[in-house]
Amino acid sequence: MEIHVKLFGPMSRAAGARQVAVTIDAAQATCAALRQKLAESQPALAPMLPACRFAVNHQLAAEHQSVGPGDEVALVGLVSGG
Amino acid sequence: MQVEVTIVDGPLPAVRPTCHQHGAGAVLCFEGVVRPLEGDRPIEALEYEVYEPMAPNTLRRLGEEVARAHGLIGVSIEHSRGRVEAGQCSFRVQVSSAHRQEALSAVADFIDRMKQAAPIWKSPIWAQ
Repeated sequence: MEIHVKLFGPMSRAAGARQVAVTIDAAQATCAALRQKLAESQPALAPMLPACRFAVNHQLAAEHQSVGPGDEVALVGLVSGG
Repeated sequence: MQVEVTIVDGPLPAVRPTCHQHGAGAVLCFEGVVRPLEGDRPIEALEYEVYEPMAPNTLRRLGEEVARAHGLIGVSIEHSRGRVEAGQCSFRVQVSSAHRQEALSAVADFIDRMKQAAPIWKSPIWAQ
């Protein structure tokens, strides 16, 4: 199953993209699995991931939360507003 | 208690009273302005990315939390998205309360929370 993850700010610059596609096992499609696959597929993002959380459909998600192909997923962290 | 959130393209317009003030004895306005220098390096502008609608929803939630925690009467939050030149205003929070101490504490508390939680990112555009 392919999940598209939106990227912003330093994460977007590190990956060189505003959005990346991550393939994960549909039977184990959680934010934790997504984090692991994202670190593997986008090594430039790996050092930033511990400081980030996923937002699923505009809500911060727990690591055990499942994700599906219809969900809007964003990597949220290292914010700097104001 | 009322909380208003506004996202604006580019720099914020001149300050105007936007928070609910009925019954207030203190009204406080804080403006964040794009610094012209980062260390010794001159900045031309900042580019703000705002993840919508999560960012305004988060700002509203934080405003409500801070209003409850400090007993505010009103809160108004304005934030830029896109390019804001050095010296221009990119963020403004206005709060009203019965007495000054609640307003002063609330503004500092809100800004701390916003910088940790609101999905807004700024990127410098360095001067040549």
